[in-house]
Amino acid sequence: MDNPSLWPLTILVFLPAIGSLVLLLLPRENTEIIKRVSLLITVIVFGATVVMALPGISGGPHFSLSADAVSQMQNVFQVNWIPVFDIQYYMGMDGISFPLFVLTAFISMLAMGASWSIKKHVKAYCVLFLILETGMLGVFLALDFFLFFVFWEVMLLPMYFLIGVWGGPRREYAAIKFFLYTMLGGVLMLIAILMLYFNSDLRELSDDQLVAGHVIADAGQAEAWRAGVPSLEKNPDAQQHTFNILALQQLGQHTKQFSGSVFTEGGKSIQWWAFVLLFIGFIIKVPSVPVHTWLPDAHVEAPTPISMILAGILLKMGGYGILRICYPICPEAAYDLAWVVCSVGVLSMVYGAFAALAQNDFKRMVAYSSVSHMGYVVLGLGVWSAVEANGFNADYWKMGVNGAMFQMIAHGISSAGMFFLVGVIYDRVHHRDLNKFGGLFAKMPVYGGIAMVIFFAGLGLPGLCGFIGEVLVVLSTWNFSIILAVLSAFVVILTAAYILWAIQRVYLGPEYKGPHPEALTPLTSREWSIAVPLCIFAIVLGVYPQALFNYMSPSINHTVDELVDWQKHQQPSAIAESVDPPDHDGNVETVTSQGKDTLPEKRSLKEDNEESLQLESFGALPAPLQATEAVRERAPPPEETTVVGDQTERG
Amino acid sequence: MGASGRGAGYVATGAILGGFVLSLAAMICWIDAHGVTAGHHSDAADSGHAVLVPPEASETEASKTLETRLVSSAPIVRPVAAADGEHAESHDGGHGAHSQGAHTTTTKVAYFDDWYTLVGLGNLKITIGYYIDALTVVMFCMITLIATCIHFYAMGYMHEELEDVTDHEVTLSNGEHLHRKGRYYRFFQYMSLFCFSMLGIVIAGNIAMTFIFWELVGICSYFLIGFYIERKSASTAANKAFIVNRVGDVGMIIGLMALWGSLGTFSFGGEKNGAGEIVKPGLFEQVRPEEEGYQLQTPEGMEKRAKVMGAEDPAYTGHLLLVVAGLGIFCGCVGKSAQFPLHVWLPDAMEGPTPVSALVHSATMVAAGVFLVGRFYPMFTPEVLLIIAIIGCITLFMAATIAITATDIKRVLAYSTLSQLGYMMFALGVGGWVAGMLHLITHAFFKSLLFMCSGSVIHAVHTNEMPQMGGLRRKMPITAYTMLIGCLAIIGAGVPTIVGLSGYYSKDAILAQALHFGKNNAAWNVMFYVAAGGAAITAFYMFRLWFMTFVGSPREQHRYDHAHESPRVMWMPLAVLAFFAIFIAMPADIENFTNPAASPLVQMLEQGRPDGTGVDFSGQLAAVMMPNEHGSHDEEIHLTAGMIAFGTALSGLLLACCMYWWRLINPAEVRSMFAPIYRFLLNKWWFDELYDKIFIRPTLWFGRCAAGFDRGCIDWLIDHLAVVTRWFTSGFDRWIDQTFVDGLANWIARKTYRVGLWLRKVQTGRLRQYVVFILVGTVAMYLLATFGLTK
Repeated sequence: MDNPSLWPLTILVFLPAIGSLVLLLLPRENTEIIKRVSLLITVIVFGATVVMALPGISGGPHFSLSADAVSQMQNVFQVNWIPVFDIQYYMGMDGISFPLFVLTAFISMLAMGASWSIKKHVKAYCVLFLILETGMLGVFLALDFFLFFVFWEVMLLPMYFLIGVWGGPRREYAAIKFFLYTMLGGVLMLIAILMLYFNSDLRELSDDQLVAGHVIADAGQAEAWRAGVPSLEKNPDAQQHTFNILALQQLGQHTKQFSGSVFTEGGKSIQWWAFVLLFIGFIIKVPSVPVHTWLPDAHVEAPTPISMILAGILLKMGGYGILRICYPICPEAAYDLAWVVCSVGVLSMVYGAFAALAQNDFKRMVAYSSVSHMGYVVLGLGVWSAVEANGFNADYWKMGVNGAMFQMIAHGISSAGMFFLVGVIYDRVHHRDLNKFGGLFAKMPVYGGIAMVIFFAGLGLPGLCGFIGEVLVVLSTWNFSIILAVLSAFVVILTAAYILWAIQRVYLGPEYKGPHPEALTPLTSREWSIAVPLCIFAIVLGVYPQALFNYMSPSINHTVDELVDWQKHQQPSAIAESVDPPDHDGNVETVTSQGKDTLPEKRSLKEDNEESLQLESFGALPAPLQATEAVRERAPPPEETTVVGDQTERG
Repeated sequence: MGASGRGAGYVATGAILGGFVLSLAAMICWIDAHGVTAGHHSDAADSGHAVLVPPEASETEASKTLETRLVSSAPIVRPVAAADGEHAESHDGGHGAHSQGAHTTTTKVAYFDDWYTLVGLGNLKITIGYYIDALTVVMFCMITLIATCIHFYAMGYMHEELEDVTDHEVTLSNGEHLHRKGRYYRFFQYMSLFCFSMLGIVIAGNIAMTFIFWELVGICSYFLIGFYIERKSASTAANKAFIVNRVGDVGMIIGLMALWGSLGTFSFGGEKNGAGEIVKPGLFEQVRPEEEGYQLQTPEGMEKRAKVMGAEDPAYTGHLLLVVAGLGIFCGCVGKSAQFPLHVWLPDAMEGPTPVSALVHSATMVAAGVFLVGRFYPMFTPEVLLIIAIIGCITLFMAATIAITATDIKRVLAYSTLSQLGYMMFALGVGGWVAGMLHLITHAFFKSLLFMCSGSVIHAVHTNEMPQMGGLRRKMPITAYTMLIGCLAIIGAGVPTIVGLSGYYSKDAILAQALHFGKNNAAWNVMFYVAAGGAAITAFYMFRLWFMTFVGSPREQHRYDHAHESPRVMWMPLAVLAFFAIFIAMPADIENFTNPAASPLVQMLEQGRPDGTGVDFSGQLAAVMMPNEHGSHDEEIHLTAGMIAFGTALSGLLLACCMYWWRLINPAEVRSMFAPIYRFLLNKWWFDELYDKIFIRPTLWFGRCAAGFDRGCIDWLIDHLAVVTRWFTSGFDRWIDQTFVDGLANWIARKTYRVGLWLRKVQTGRLRQYVVFILVGTVAMYLLATFGLTK
């Protein structure tokens, strides 16, 4: 309870929820006051996150950029919540979650500003909106799997009502569709969480790993901790289950606990199933083809600010989950299924772009562009190209993951901007038919100019935020699979086509062709103040992306490095056959130093061969994997196979 | 914005003029440090010590800060080695201007470093930097000079945009013409951004930065081509330009990936650390290492990558990767320089205002593609160069034929641009680096001149159609005669072996190199004849244009009556450009006046020649030999080529005279005689229709399929799943309810009823029977209480 981060962060996350309680006390008729109070709360939250982000401000929790801290979890606090199941109220932030945390606060603030056009049940709207914000903020900070799940579901219900009550004509259909899809994802996630929980045993971690998993504060406490729990030798059945995400990561990377098979001997492992379930749950949120169809409906029916939230933040949780949970906890499954992840990403990119091309509804077009753009995120996260054949050079993979994270932030800005811009004209003329616009540039020049910036940011124009993420992801794909790389490169044509075509139909042309031409008035100052920050961010991030990478990269690289280390353990043959002498030495050093504190690990070769057969049946096997398979088959040390067999039985 | 918008014009023009002055200063500094001639020349031999070269400033404020940073970054000057005649067959024609052997060992002078890092991960870095060599300097001067002329010209040409404009080409739904506010300021805004982007490409220190500015050029051209946003044709042309360019960009991205994935750097010159030492060799150094005498080899990284891919023969696959990289980058150039098969956007780009066309077609945009081929030249393998030559050859011929039938004055010029760009690519492809670059620069001058003259004509008669012009020479003499200079320059007019206009030098050089190439590669000899034939067609259509516009009797009297010479702000730039169109490539040395290689421009370009490209080299995959360019200066080759060029141009010119001046041949008869060919050419080889059928429609169809699949299949599935679930749950529910819950209740009720019925039989109403019941019951309770409960 004496952790300095506990109360500030708790207050920050729950401030919107507290605010919603305050709103309940306000009279329902006074909508202006209600909106202003809500906006004030979102502004305070955003202001607090900015203060945390600024370097050099001391006092209270802040995001440190100092070399030793920046790649680690910061401002961590743990409080027992439900001790029976070792469930903790446990939060923290690193470079992966913090930018998304700030983005959440930022987009929420702008979306609240865009909520002035809401006229129906304002009080209920604001209350739900603020609860939603608490849910979103919590998801990004939660480090306890159970807490994560709770926030995830907390977010779901307000969203359902916000779409279902304040939406367009088909709102109920859209809301229930959104709810069911996300519920399905949630259920799969819950199954995976429980699978991981009941197969985890903290006692197998070494002292250092316990520290890394934030189970104990420092190595000195390990003695005491081990004394407090039944030891592994004396009572092998008294497992110490955990929901701690960081500890689960350590378990997934350094022990064989999740490698046992689930149903039958020699079947798919626990982590394979957990990965698949979690991955499906997360890509529903991303959303990727083929589980994306809730998104167009939800976007089309949702009111403008909710569309902004949906596109700007909710979709990012999927990508965040994959990076925070899927990959570090289930590295083996992630490595084997990397091509699935990448294929899903490329499929979404291509399919979303084609579908966007065919839309006549402005919002639907933008929604499909989100599907396409989020495909880059999934692709970037998946490009596991650090294989032994190229000397475990993880730089390209790091580039992909960095690109994916950057794309998440950039897409948060550009897609929120696009939905806002669509909302601006929808508020005026009450339709979204792309073929019934035209000439808006002449009627609303400032709006037209802002729209150009935001839409070109979405198009991936250099100098604007969309470019960096896309180019990093696409460039990094080449070393994973040339076919996927070429396919993903072709998407730029489609992106240009649907965005330019939409611009032509809406903004260019001699005159406006739809109803209510008299309503097309210039932007109000309120709309200005929402659009301009988005434009500024789009430009700043496009011209000086390092500003964001300074926060993100160390943590991302740390995560990737850990996975590469894991992989080096799995493929020690590479060290002997390492091509590059300087690398050679380096590798041996790392491996021996890590080898001391971990159990002897070897992949079950039987399993490997089976999987490689499966991989080969998939037509376009990525080149790096092919090479890997070849090397794996070459070096089968038989005695280690039996060791693994024992472990598997125990697990 | 009204008259106040004029300020925008002054700012933009002032900025680009400032850019020109700074570029010129840079050029002077450069010449001061390195001389005009190539490195081995005696007066340049001592230029090994570092001399600071002021940067070529872009026209923005940012250039000032860039300049100071550049000054502080202390560029490294590689030492200029003395020539040692490694290649003994050096051809030296006694001019001392250049010799062949020099370039194999002389390192060209280049300054490069990074300004800042966009993305840096581990060993991988994407930066914004600069790479300055003689080519950069020359290009900067050319671009800024032409852009300055065009800016001045545009101040006159666009004056209508200062007030409210009535656009006669746009009819509103109520039948009136569109009336809108002028957009003078916006025009200059786009122009400035356009020039900035183009200068960014030229100064780019790595290929990724080139790509960034490449895209910016694309977007600026989108804005400028679609400047009349109200016109559907303009916005469609703008979309077309951008999307077709993006098709090329896909190739470029693939090329970038191939380089990035195996070499891990984009930098041309190399990546430096804080102390200015090169920590990672650049692309050029990796492909043409200094210790190998700058000869092309498959870089180590690509062979390694090939091994990772599991290739059986890493050397072969690595070489293939290099080919893919080269072809990919060239794809981008095909898009930007509008080469076949991505040429379709350029003629439509005429929808923009004429100054834009002048800028797009001469100094920027299309020049960018050729420039990049020139810049990236060391990376191209002979196979790639052969493909470049073939593409260039097809383009130059195809575009020239289409230009014959076009009647829109700007479209004729557009196709002529295509054709000339084809010449440049062709020249680069057959090994003529200097020839291609020289043509790029001379063409920039006379093509911008031609476009501005055509703009002056359009400004006067308010139409683009040549059949409505005629005899304008008398009304607007300055325009007519400056345009004549442009026409003469583009056909390469000159006195063979003695002197000529700028085009004469560049076209001769191209044809000489083509002939040289043909002599070494008999299979590809045909390309020389195509190029020579193209020269005849060029002469024909250019003079067809000039005669139809300026000579003869007016075809539409009222247009002729309204015609007038343009104001001074418009014709002054014409005069300046005409001057350069004549003299830019001419030798300055009076003693060597007849030697084309003595021209300072050629010598400057020779200085910028990429290391190691001055020698013969052969391909690995295809049987092709790239002859070194100096071989083409051989007396025999040069004379033959010069004579053929002169003959073909003259024949084309004479034919044009016969048809359109002396009226010896009636064009209408010729047209009907070759009706199928005429239709084929008039329809531009049916490329637009073809692309519409094989690319655009299938894409849209596929898009609709995807959208339909979402609604028809996935959503159908989901919706029906929901329906089935609901039906099932409600049905199941009812069944459970009816069978178990209701059934239980009913069963209980039924049983109760039965029990009741049965019990009713007991109730007989007879008193004696009741007394017996009471008695028996009491005894039974007594017995139960006594024995049952006390146990």
